[in-house]
Amino acid sequence: MGHLLQYVLNGLARGSIYSLIALGLVVIYRGTGHLNFAQGEMALFATFGAWWINDHGVPLWLAIMIAAGGAFVVGGVIEFGLIRPAGKKSPFAVVVITIGLFQAFNSLSGLLFKGAATGLPFGTLFPNKPTDFFRLPGGAIWRYEYVGVLVTVLVITALLFLLFQKTKVGLAMRMVANNPDSAKLAGVPTNKILMLSWALSASIGAIGGCLVAGINANVNLGTMFGVFLLASAAATLGGLDSPLGAVVGGLSLGVIESLVTNYPKSWWGSTYIGADTAIAVAFLIILVVLLVRPSGLFGSTRVERV
Amino acid sequence: MSPEPTNANGVAPLLDVRGLTAGYGQVQVLQGLNLRVAQGEVAVILGANGAGKTTTMRAISGMIARKGAITFSGDPMAKRSPDEIVRMGIAQVPQGRGTFTDLTVEDNLRAGAFVRKGADIEADIQEWFDVFPRLRERREQKAGSLSGGEQQMLAIARALMSRPKLLLCDEPSLGLAPIITQELFAVLQRLNAERGLSILIVEQNANLALGIAHSVFVLETGAIVASGTAEEISNNDAVRKAYLGY
Ligand SMILES: Nc1ncnc2c1ncn2[C@@H]1O[C@H](COP(=O)(O)OP(=O)(O)O)[C@@H](O)[C@H]1O
Ligand SMILES: [Mg+2]
Repeated sequence: MGHLLQYVLNGLARGSIYSLIALGLVVIYRGTGHLNFAQGEMALFATFGAWWINDHGVPLWLAIMIAAGGAFVVGGVIEFGLIRPAGKKSPFAVVVITIGLFQAFNSLSGLLFKGAATGLPFGTLFPNKPTDFFRLPGGAIWRYEYVGVLVTVLVITALLFLLFQKTKVGLAMRMVANNPDSAKLAGVPTNKILMLSWALSASIGAIGGCLVAGINANVNLGTMFGVFLLASAAATLGGLDSPLGAVVGGLSLGVIESLVTNYPKSWWGSTYIGADTAIAVAFLIILVVLLVRPSGLFGSTRVERV
Repeated sequence: MSPEPTNANGVAPLLDVRGLTAGYGQVQVLQGLNLRVAQGEVAVILGANGAGKTTTMRAISGMIARKGAITFSGDPMAKRSPDEIVRMGIAQVPQGRGTFTDLTVEDNLRAGAFVRKGADIEADIQEWFDVFPRLRERREQKAGSLSGGEQQMLAIARALMSRPKLLLCDEPSLGLAPIITQELFAVLQRLNAERGLSILIVEQNANLALGIAHSVFVLETGAIVASGTAEEISNNDAVRKAYLGY
C-alpha cells in the first residue's frame, strides 16, 4: 500500500503537467474547434527561450515569466497571421498549418539554440536535493519538487477558472465557445477573443514546458513530444472542450502512467515495461472511455431541447 | 406602395433600409430590399420559408456581407460590424433562439449586457426576472435545459439586456406550441406598448404577424412585394390568398 501512495504522488506531478498542456489545447479548441498540434513544440520553443534568458543572468522564475509573456504575443500573432486566414478557407487548412508549425518550432529551436538536440541543462524550480521531501505515513515520500509542480499547476488552473467564471473576458470566451453567432450578436468582437485564446494557450504551454524541463533538469528537442501526446490524450479523455476535463484527464493519465510503469518494476524488478507501455495502456483506457462516452468524461453533450 | 423616404408625419424612420443586397457566395438572396421601421412601432416581415427573412435579419445585424444603404436613427450602418451595430442599439434574437445553452440562465443575461458597463446590469437582470418569473426560478440552470418557450423568453430578455432601441426577432414562433406562441406575442406587444420598444419581427405565420404589426412588409424571393399597415395588407387579396389561405 505504501507503494500505491508513492506511485500516485509521483504520477500526480507528471499528470499535472499533462493537465496544463491539455488546458492550453482546450482553451483553443473551445474557441475555434481546432486542435493545435503545435501546442507542445510552441511550448518547447518558449522553454528554450526561458533557458536562453536565464543563461543571460536573469533569475529562472523571472525568465519563465518573460518567456510566457513572449509566448502570449507569439500565440496571438499566429492566430492573427496564420490560423485566421486559413480558417476562412477550410478547417483542414488549419490542421495542416498547426502540423507545419509543429515542425517549424522544433526546427527553429534546433537552429537557434546550440546543443538543443543533445540537451541543455535547465535549472531547478523547486528544492530538489535528495533529502528535499515530506515523509508521509506508510513510508511514502513526497518530493518538494513534485509538490511544487502540482501546486503551481493547481494555482494556474484556479486562476484560469476565475478568469472564465468571474471576468467579462472569461464570459466572452465562454460565449464564443458555446455559440459564436450569438456571441457576435451580443456584441462580442469574436476575432479578438480567438486571438486572446491562442495567446493565453501559448502562455500556459510555455509554463508547462518549463515545468517539464525543470523536473528533467534538461531541455532538448524531444522534451515535449511524449508530453504533448499524453496531454492531447488527456484533453480527449476530458472532453476537449472542458477545462475541468483537461485537469482530471491529465491527472488520471499521470497516475495511470506511473502505476503502469512502476508496479511491474516492483513486482519483477525489471524495466521491461517502460514509458511506451504506459502510453499504450493510457490510450487503451481512452479508447474504452470514448466508446462509452463519445464526448469524453466532461465534454458537452449539448443537451438542447427544441 | 413603395416605401417613402419618411413617414407620413415627416419623421425620419428609426431603421431605414434601401436597396439591400446580400447572399451567400455566388448566390444573391436579397435583390434590393427596402423597408423602414418607425420609432415606437412593431413592424413585421411576412414571408414564406426560404424567402430571405433570416438573410435580411443577418444583413441588418452585420452578420453577412451586404450592400445598400442602411441607416439607424439617421446614422449609416451598412459597413458596421456586428458589435458596433449592437452598440448602436440594435439587438437580435436569431432564428432558433441562439441561447448560450451551456451557460446558466443568469449568465445568458450577463452575456446580453456584454456591450454595457456598470453596476445597473445586475438591477436589469432582476427587472427581467420580474417580467419573466420562470427565468428567476431557473436562474442557475443551464439554458439548454429550459423548454423551448422558456428559451425564447430567455433569448428575448438576453437581447433586451443590451438596452436596444430596436429589437429584431427572427421567427420567434418557430417550434413552439400555439399557446406558448400567443403568450410570447403578448409579451412582445407589451414591451412595445409599455416601454415604447421598437420591434421588427420576421414571421411565416400571417395571423400572428398581422395581429401584432403596425406595419407589414411582404417578402418574396428576396424583395418586398407589398407593404402597408396591417389593415391594408389584410385587405390585399393576393396577400390574403398566399398567406392566409382565403
Ligand atoms: N448559409 C447559407 N448558405 C447558402 N445559402 C443559404 C444559406 N442560408 C440560407 N440560404 C439560402 O438563402 C435563401 C433564403 O434563406 P433564408 O434567409 O434563411 O430564408 P427564410 O428565413 O425566409 O426562411 C434560401 O434559398 C436558402 O436556401
Ligand atoms: Mg428564416
